[in-house]
Amino acid sequence: MAIAQLIPGSAAAPMTTPKVEASHLTKWFTNPQAGHDIEVLRDVSVSVAPGEFLSIVGPSGCGKTTLLRIFAGLIPVSSGAVLYDGAPVSGPSSKMGFVFQSDNLLPWRRIHDNVAFGPELRGERRDSMEPRIQSLLRLVGLSGFERYYPHQLSGGMRQRVNLARALAIQPDVLLMDEPFAALDAQTREIMQDELLRIWQETGNTVIFITHQIDEAIFLADRIMVLGARPGRIREVIPVDLPRPRSLEMKRHPEFTRLADHVWSSIEQEVRESIRGEQEVVASAHQRALAHLDED
Amino acid sequence: MSADVTTARLAAPSTTFSPLPLLRRAINANRSLLTSVGSLGFGFLLWEIAADLIVRDKLFLVAPSAVVVRIAQLLGTGELQHHIVASGLEFVIGFVIAAFVGVGVGLLMGTCKPARIALTPWVAAIYSTPLIALSPLLILWFGIGITSKVVVVFAVSVFPVLVNTQTGIEGADERLLEMARAFGANTRQTFTKVLLPAAVPFIVAGLRLGVGRGLVGVVAAELFGAREGLGFLITAASQVFDMGALFGAVVILALAGVLSTAAIRALEQRIAPWRGA
Repeated sequence: MAIAQLIPGSAAAPMTTPKVEASHLTKWFTNPQAGHDIEVLRDVSVSVAPGEFLSIVGPSGCGKTTLLRIFAGLIPVSSGAVLYDGAPVSGPSSKMGFVFQSDNLLPWRRIHDNVAFGPELRGERRDSMEPRIQSLLRLVGLSGFERYYPHQLSGGMRQRVNLARALAIQPDVLLMDEPFAALDAQTREIMQDELLRIWQETGNTVIFITHQIDEAIFLADRIMVLGARPGRIREVIPVDLPRPRSLEMKRHPEFTRLADHVWSSIEQEVRESIRGEQEVVASAHQRALAHLDED
Repeated sequence: MSADVTTARLAAPSTTFSPLPLLRRAINANRSLLTSVGSLGFGFLLWEIAADLIVRDKLFLVAPSAVVVRIAQLLGTGELQHHIVASGLEFVIGFVIAAFVGVGVGLLMGTCKPARIALTPWVAAIYSTPLIALSPLLILWFGIGITSKVVVVFAVSVFPVLVNTQTGIEGADERLLEMARAFGANTRQTFTKVLLPAAVPFIVAGLRLGVGRGLVGVVAAELFGAREGLGFLITAASQVFDMGALFGAVVILALAGVLSTAAIRALEQRIAPWRGA
């Protein structure tokens, strides 16, 4: 286990080049109907050290997923810059593995071939990728399920395949977009535990989006709290909990203190965001009723 | 279900009336098959009764038993085989060309925007036209032989294949496409590894529709002018009031529909085994 992983990321100022860095990142989308631009992210600056685990929390509509897509090179920034190992990101990188919120497994591929998807795209030879795929399937506890199709697996198992697929390209960075959101509470806790184990085994840098505060604290070295409309950094909170972490730590007083801290940081935003959504729903409802009246 | 009840209540046999649980289980396992066979058998029985006892006029309604006898006679002389081969050849050639062209053009329209824009009005216009009605014209153009029939089969079965293929490509899950992009797939890889497999179930559904329309097409084209084939047999038989042969040809066509649909289902099982959810 590397020493860097024992020291929470922000406590020691990173001396090396950041693994991923955003500087004054701003993103807006053009909305052809409204005729004006919608600002999604405003002036986001953050450095993620090699081997660091960063959690991002924020209310819905704060641009979390957009930020992660920008890190992945799937969409460009509007202004500012994203650097990977000090170099600008211009498109999907072979060094970043993306773990999706919905597992996005290819339904026509068996589990083994889903994990092999990334290496296969790069033209890697079967015999060179095979040992790695086997060990990844062992790592995520799915040995023996190679020949199953995704629809034959449970949600938790599919998420583990999703993770193994991202790891199969041997990434430096794992970008994870609420990967456990759709799982039940018990499965989610087990997956959190497994993720930390895998992270410590691989030494990856992880950027992990979640809307669950306890999940963010349990996993991360630092928590980045985003505010909504437009998304901007409200606070970056270091997590000074020892590693390796165990599920009992969630009842630790320091854990509770951190949870209160994070919650107070986003509470107002969440309330506003809920109110905003309620208004949207209410007006949609009213429009629907108006339609019915016309008919 | 009831088999479970039987075993669970062995202690109280008076509540069940299943002296032969094994037979019961066998019936349960094949229930859908037995139901469809039974339904067909019942229909034939009604037909037989209606023909023999109610209508009693072979010109109006010939009994299924008489149809079977006539089919056997025609098989004996080799006449039926000759017509089956003739129609079968026309159908297979026309349908195979339609399958390749339909899938090809459908893939093109699904992936290439200029092609889609240029071809959509043509497809929309021709797809909804009753092309079979043009058979006399096609016979005028291509003669009374096999070519005109192949053209009709092609024309009626190419569009369902084409439209379904295009729909399958366009309906591919956006999230899977983004996943492929995140993993660095290029255009060709996105096509072969995401778009094409996603479209396979739609393509198979299109082929199934095409088979039905193609079978109708081949017979209809033969009705308008032919020297051989099942459509010709139907025309010839009706002119001499040979109702047994007429119904016989229709039965063969129904059988061909059932068999080709089963063949395409088997094909789907082979190339899309993940569909058995």
